[in-house]
Order: sequence, then structure tokens, then C-alpha cells
Amino acid sequence: MFYTIIEQVVNGIVSGSVYAIVAVGMTMIFGVLRAINFAHGEYYMLGTFGAWFAIEYFDLPYPVAVVIGVVATAVIAVVVGNFVMQRIVGAPAEAGVLATLGVALILQNTVILAFGGSYKFFSGGYIEPVSVFGFTLAEQRILIIIVGLIVFVGLELMVTYSRMGKAMRAVSQNIECCAVVGIDVRHIALWTFILGAGLAALSGVLTAPVNVSVYGGMGELITFKTLPIIIMGGLGNVRGTFVAAMILGIAESLVATYIGLQFRDTVGFATLMLVLMWRPHGLFSAQARF
Amino acid sequence: MTIELSRRGFCIGTALIGLQTISSSAFAARSEDGTVRLGLVAPTSGPNARYGAFSLRGAQMAAKEINDAGGVGGRKINVMPGDSQGTPVEGVSATRRLIDQDQVDFIIGDVSSSVTLAMQPVVEDAGVLLLNAASSNPMITYKAGVGGFKWTFRNYPTDENRSLLVLQYAAEKKGFTKYSVLSVDTDYGRAAIQFTKKYLLRFKSEILTEDYYKEGEVDFRSVLSKIRDSGAQAIIMYGNADSAPIVGRQMMEVGIAGKIPLIGNAEFNTASTIKAAPKAMEGAIEAAAWLPGYDSPKSKAFVDKFTAAYREAPNNHAYVHWETVHLLAKAIEQAKSIDREKVRAALSGIHYDSAVGEVTFDDHNQARLPMILLEIEGGTPVVKGAYKAEIDYPK
Repeated sequence: MFYTIIEQVVNGIVSGSVYAIVAVGMTMIFGVLRAINFAHGEYYMLGTFGAWFAIEYFDLPYPVAVVIGVVATAVIAVVVGNFVMQRIVGAPAEAGVLATLGVALILQNTVILAFGGSYKFFSGGYIEPVSVFGFTLAEQRILIIIVGLIVFVGLELMVTYSRMGKAMRAVSQNIECCAVVGIDVRHIALWTFILGAGLAALSGVLTAPVNVSVYGGMGELITFKTLPIIIMGGLGNVRGTFVAAMILGIAESLVATYIGLQFRDTVGFATLMLVLMWRPHGLFSAQARF
Repeated sequence: MTIELSRRGFCIGTALIGLQTISSSAFAARSEDGTVRLGLVAPTSGPNARYGAFSLRGAQMAAKEINDAGGVGGRKINVMPGDSQGTPVEGVSATRRLIDQDQVDFIIGDVSSSVTLAMQPVVEDAGVLLLNAASSNPMITYKAGVGGFKWTFRNYPTDENRSLLVLQYAAEKKGFTKYSVLSVDTDYGRAAIQFTKKYLLRFKSEILTEDYYKEGEVDFRSVLSKIRDSGAQAIIMYGNADSAPIVGRQMMEVGIAGKIPLIGNAEFNTASTIKAAPKAMEGAIEAAAWLPGYDSPKSKAFVDKFTAAYREAPNNHAYVHWETVHLLAKAIEQAKSIDREKVRAALSGIHYDSAVGEVTFDDHNQARLPMILLEIEGGTPVVKGAYKAEIDYPK
């Protein structure tokens, strides 16, 4: 009984790490652009497709495929960032919703057009199970947890100490003042967006070996899993997002075990409703930031 | 006042005559077209797109064969695809589009039971013949023929046969009595389990855990650990082919691969699934309407031709759609017309030689078909026999 609970918590931490890496990009983009990026899951999908393409068509090893997946997505993010996301800065909220939803449809259907709508089989990665403290896990899952931690520590350091990180925080607090003191808001917005999309792609490539299937519509599920997390974490809050992702991952895992797999997807939205009722600014913000 | 009324009546009358002219001219256009307009509703995008692609290829190959041989009664078969995306809403609008815009006379579709169930009332209203080739939910033909819908036929075995045969094989040949359920959360997955439960007592068996996954689910670890600890001897899975490799891989992860086999139906026997998780698929038992390894001359000829044409081995859906187009062509030939009523009558009384045996329809418009049972041994699917069962319709 106790063993089962511990094992399910470990399972939850693994899925939580995946959610965390995707969600942190989305929350940073929100912080700077004040727009929910509904196309976020598509960058996750693009990263996975990039790596799949590298493995299937060029027979490249998995670590190289990871780099290709992330870089390819970043290149697409540069294009989308220049033509779409920069224009959202300072625009009304509806503009962001419509623009990102439109981008999501375009990216998804372009991939379906190019590669077909069917599921692809992702053959790279480290899927051999290993035993850690009596639990068996695929090596890939341990890699996911480690990369998740590195990403978060790195992001914390970046937003605290680097010039770019400080500028990102400044833009998320007050766009007008940033413009007054000479911070290039559009430049910061673009880089935040590329970073967020790149992280989503990284998450996609890391999970592909254990999720096996790759298909054009795979991003949608991720976007809708991420949405409750960034709201629970407090929009724009990096640390809060990490904790919220872990809570959701563990809660889902326990619900799947003790209540039933069919109720798993309700966890995120049920928690979201409770948070919106009692702590509309997220679990961790003392008060509204803007 | 009376003049006013009659004027209105005149207007309505004229409008009605106009409408009739339009519809009859549309009908004339259809008949003069000189082809057989055959709609094919299948999921060509979305999570079941793989099935849709195979269905379309199977149907197109059959149409090409028939057309190359001169068509049916001199008419070429024109396959018009409609994408259901595997969802009832899109399936119904694809069906409406085929009927209203493309003016089809016959429809084959869909793969998903949920979609087919939603299409039934639509074709019934339009009086268009729906010949299903790949949905297995028993309700589809419970409600057809003497059950209500006159225009629905099904050339595919149902989950009731399948559930019974799988359970019987597992109990009698393997001695299993304790099961865990991991099925897809759709009309197909749920009905298969419902009918499994109907026959559980007969084999003194029980279900220990019961879970349903959403299409597109990728994380089965929690539920598989639960199954490992439950003491189940086998996992009953009625799912989609795309989930089988994921489940297999995660079975290896939680350490139940090779210990608790999968039984049911989710294309465990396809080469790519076995390759993805060889240890988990070992001992898997599956009941299929057809499979590429089935030993009959007609079946083998189909596999060779399909593989040559598409450089990929056909799956079950390719076969059933290929066979069903040929079946429909034979019905049209016997009816000596594309008149829907006549074709329907011909179909009811047809004796058609398929690759798995003779096809006839019962009074619920359900084809009497065998199911093939196979077990994966040493990484290859081994056919264990073909079984037939007459359906007990609820009185």
C-alpha cells in the first residue's frame, strides 16, 4: 500500500517534470506579452517532429536529434515571433487569443499536410527500464527529471542575475516604464517567445521516446494540460509554475490509480476551478501583480 | 380575404413545383452521370487517421479493380471520401456533405462505432444505403433491419462475438479467471467490456480492476502498476492500434511484460507494435475480423496486390473496405441497377464469397462472419482458428 503510493508519487513527479518544462515557457511568454499562447503545445509537437524527422530520414543518433528538434523549433519561433508575437505587445487581449489560436491551426495543419495525419513511431531514446530504490523506470524518465531540474535552476539564475532576465522581469511588471528607461520591449518579447517555444520543443523531444507516438494533433492535449498549471502557478510566476506542475502530475497519478484512468484529465480542470474560486491570482502570489 | 389566401396558396404551390423541378433535375443529373457514386466516410485525420488511410486505400484499390474490369453494369465506381476525424460531429457533417453536395447513392463508413451510430439516423432520413465495414459495436445492428433502421447494413463481426470468443479462448486454453480491464473510453471499448461481463459467469471469471483511457492518452504507468499489484492473470484491452505500442512499452517499464498478457483487440499483431515492445506482446491473444497472415488464396492475393501497390502490408481496415466495395458491387450487379431500393433488396439476399468465407445477412442486416483468433508466439502472430457465432438479439 505504502509502496504503491510512493511509486505513484514518483510517476507523478515524472509527468510533473514534463508539464513543468512546457508550462514555464508559456508562463514567461504570458508575463512579457500578457497573452496566453494557445499555440504552445504546437511547439512541443514541432520539437518532437523535428527529432523524429532527423531519426527517420537521416538516421541520426538521439542526442543529435534532440538538438535538431529544438533548433528547428527555435527557427520557426523566430519567424512566428517576428511576424505575430511582437505585434501582440500592448495590443488588446483578444488579439493575442485570436493570433495564437490561428498560429496553432496553421502549424498543426502544415505538419499534417507535410507528413500526413497518421501516427508516427518514434524509435530513439533510452527506454531500457532500470531499477532505482526498488522502482523500475525507463532511463529516459530519469533523464526527464534531471533535465527538468537543470532547466529550472538555470531559469531562476537567468531571471535573477542576467541582464536579459532582469529585462524580462521588468517588462512583465511595466511595459511603459521599460520603454522610458530604454529597454527594447519588442526585442525582449521576441527572445522570451523563442526561449519559451524552445523549452516546449525540448520537453516534446524528451518525452517522445516514452510516449512512442508522434502525430500532428499531439500539441492540443499539451496546451490544455498546461493552461491550468500556469493559472495555478500564478501567471508569469516561474517558481509557482514548477510547484503547480508537480502538484498536478502527482494528483493525476493518484487519481488514475485510486479512482480510475478515465477521470485523470478532469483533475487539472477541477483544481483550476477551485483555485479560481479561492485564489484567483494563483496558489503562490500574495496579491495581484498587475 | 379568400383571394389573399389563394394567392398565398398559389405562391407556395409555385415554390413547391420549383423545388420539385430542382430536386428531380438533380436526380436526373446523378443518374445520367453514368457512375456509381460511393461515399466513403473514414477518419483521415485525428487520432484514428491510420485506420482512415488504410480504409481509403482498400476501397480505392477495390474500385480500381472493378473499374479496370469494365465497372459494374458498365458503370465506373467513383469513391468520394469524407473525413470523420473519428468524431460523431464531424462524421455526421461529412455524411451530410456526401449526401447533399456529392449526391452519393451509397455510403461505406465509419471505422469508429460512435461515428457510425450517429450516421445511422442521417442516412435513414435521406434513404441512402449505409454499408458499414469496420465498426464493431453490437448496437449498430441491434437497431438495424427488423430493429428499426432499414438502410443500415454491416459487413463486420461485432464485439459481442469477439468478447465471447476471446473470453472462451482465454478460459479454456489458458485457464485464466482473473482479469484487469484497460480499454478505450469510446462506444467500442466500453461495449466490448459490457459484453465481456455478460459472459464472465459462464467461465467462472472475474474482473479485478477496470479502467478506460481517453484516445491520445500516453501515460499508462499508474494504471499498469495497479494492475501489476492486483493479481490479474491477463489484461483485457479493447483499444486502438496507436495505443498498443505505448501500453506495451510501459508494461516493460513497470515489469509486467511477459507475465501478464494482453487479450482482446488493438492490433497487437502488427509488426511495428511487436517491434516496439516484443516482450510485452508475447502471449497476446487477439480476435480479428481478418489479418494479413490468414491462409486463403483470395486473402493472400489481396495482401500481395496491396503490398505491391502501396509498399506497406494491409491491415484489417484495408481488407474489410476492399472486400465491402466488392460486396456492394456484386449487390449492384445482381440488382441490375443503382436504384437504392433494388440494391438494398439484393444485399439482403446476397451470397457472397469473401476471403474468410461466405457472407450472408441476417434479419438485422448483420453479416454472418467468422472471427480469427491468434496468439503471438516467439514474436510472430500464430492463427489459432476461425470461429463463428450467431448473435442473440434481445427480444
